[in-house]
Amino acid sequence: MIKVHYFGIIAEAAKSEGETISSPSIPLKSLIGDLTEKYQLDSYQFQIAVNRKIVKEMDALELKTGDEIALLPAFSGG
Amino acid sequence: MDFSRQIILPQLGVSGQKKLKDSKILVVGAGGLGCAILPYLAAVGVGTIGIMDGDRIAASNLHRQLLYSESQIGLSKSQEAKKYLKAQFPEVSFRVFDCFLEPSNARDHLQNFDLIIDATDEISARHLLNDLSQELDIPWVYGSVHQFQGQVSVFNFENGPNYKDLFPVADTDAISCSDAGVLGTTVGMIGMLQANEAIKIVAGFGKVLSGKVLIYDLLSCTQQIFEFEKRPENNSRSEQIAFPLITIEEVFQAKLKVIDVRERDEKPEVLKENIFQIPLSTLAEKVELFDRGEEICIFCQTGKRSQTAAEILNQLGFTQIRLIKGGAKEIIGQLSNEIDQHS
Repeated sequence: MIKVHYFGIIAEAAKSEGETISSPSIPLKSLIGDLTEKYQLDSYQFQIAVNRKIVKEMDALELKTGDEIALLPAFSGG
Repeated sequence: MDFSRQIILPQLGVSGQKKLKDSKILVVGAGGLGCAILPYLAAVGVGTIGIMDGDRIAASNLHRQLLYSESQIGLSKSQEAKKYLKAQFPEVSFRVFDCFLEPSNARDHLQNFDLIIDATDEISARHLLNDLSQELDIPWVYGSVHQFQGQVSVFNFENGPNYKDLFPVADTDAISCSDAGVLGTTVGMIGMLQANEAIKIVAGFGKVLSGKVLIYDLLSCTQQIFEFEKRPENNSRSEQIAFPLITIEEVFQAKLKVIDVRERDEKPEVLKENIFQIPLSTLAEKVELFDRGEEICIFCQTGKRSQTAAEILNQLGFTQIRLIKGGAKEIIGQLSNEIDQHS
């Protein structure tokens, strides 16, 4: 089980604050690709955090059960 | 102003209160976040507060921008905010900039402050703020809001990461409060967290949100903190040359030549024999004042520009370059000690 959290405009696009992925393990890049396609996130800029650390490069990262990821866009309002 | 209830906090004390009084903080934006931040900075005893905003008060602002009222619609936010705050906190020195942050004015306005608080509502303004604060070596407190959520972080603090390390690509499509909707309590909460970080930075206590971004969600009353690091592409200085350091006492004892590479109007002013005021921007033109083999010691406000100046001199063939430990404030401290000892 992998938990995914959405923030700001990404939560609006996904119409959800988060969800649980039942896969026991999956490459981060594949999961982000799947979510981008599912919620049409192509036009949004966001950072990805794995277990509350923002990742600079997601190519080699393999997610496993218990990991939490977050999709973090920059907020703009003030 | 009676600060006794906060001075008894062991983390603040008399010394922390003095640091607040000596501090100069610029708040960029006097809208939702700014209206929450400004009164708390004034009330805590910050000595000098800059208020920058070129916007005019609109009826749709009043539900969340509590420094203004209906009779002030159409008037300047920065001017009216100052009037409100000056009446309540007359001992604070306010500086008003009735303009927006633009590439043409940013350097002049930012360079006289120790700390900047971002209360803007545009990502492009944050990129400009980030670039200039990095160049001028000034830390800044970031805050922004999306509906019921807010983000807070501190950038460029003690060589920590900056905004572009967190969000490297500007999202020009991100929407503002006017498009997304916002409650006054959300900007109030996030502004309060920003003011609190500013107080901690200036007075020197607590754990500052450097390298961390806090996301507060007022719908669920939850907060999460995400960590991030510098990105090499934003920090080419990581492979910088390590020039030898020297203390200001050693400089004065050996009567070495010193270059102050700060801009001419930066405070504190350091005047003494053998100290040459040569801003970094003009250094390459003035090198003929010095011999390439003599010891040259450099200082600025906190060290970043000294490093750049040393690299320039190194490229121009200077071989005995030293960086002075500490910045202008420590040099002034040492000069005061010398005067005390001689009087």
